[in-house]
Amino acid sequence: MSDIIRREEFGEVAILHVTTTSVDAISAAAIAAECQDMRPITVLDFSEVSFINSAGISALLKFVVSARKSGYKLFAMHVSPHHQKIFKMVEMSRFMPTIEERDLAEYRIAS
Amino acid sequence: MDRVELNIPSNPIFERVVRASAAEVGSAFGFSEERIEDLKLAISEAVNNAIDHGNRGEAGKLVAVVFEIDGEKLEIRISDQGPGVERIDVTRRVVDEANLEAGELRGFGMYLISELVDDLEVSSSHRGTILTLRLYRREQP
Repeated sequence: MSDIIRREEFGEVAILHVTTTSVDAISAAAIAAECQDMRPITVLDFSEVSFINSAGISALLKFVVSARKSGYKLFAMHVSPHHQKIFKMVEMSRFMPTIEERDLAEYRIAS
Repeated sequence: MDRVELNIPSNPIFERVVRASAAEVGSAFGFSEERIEDLKLAISEAVNNAIDHGNRGEAGKLVAVVFEIDGEKLEIRISDQGPGVERIDVTRRVVDEANLEAGELRGFGMYLISELVDDLEVSSSHRGTILTLRLYRREQP
């Protein structure tokens, strides 16, 4: 159990709420470790995140690699406009598109 | 001219101290929230490079960060005490299928810096590397 990620699961969905404000060199390893336990639909929730740098992006890319290997879908949720800009700059959005909270509602009901 | 100088050990936890200072300096300079975020990210990347690639994580080696506000210009110099580098690559670096397959998940820092600041200069010798970032309050003519 990580104190940097809070997991929420229903059906085939796992929402990983990132609870640190900084996704950086200090938190990267703990965040990346969670990619070992993904679900067919995995959502990273950035609502509490105020900073992401390239060390953090590298950690997030481990989820991308893991999802591609497993054939799972990976999404980002509650991404700030600044972080959307950065994700677009490095083309991260192609591999981890954003999803809205309301889009998860059908999965919650189904489970 | 207003000047703020910080010296940190080569430990990534202290990059957060520089980043917090960058936010305050950016605010004092009158930057918007978005520009402050750009500044924080550019400085974070530069300091992490100095720690990892310049000083190679040797905690005894310092990273010096100098902020200078001069009229419409904010200049930041990030210096390490490493052996210097031959070249720094600022070419566009994005996530693609090839680097995911190869497990190459790092190396976005310099490209991000180059996109987020107005001006970037590198000088390197056997005594260390100095990265100079410049951001302007208004658009350059």
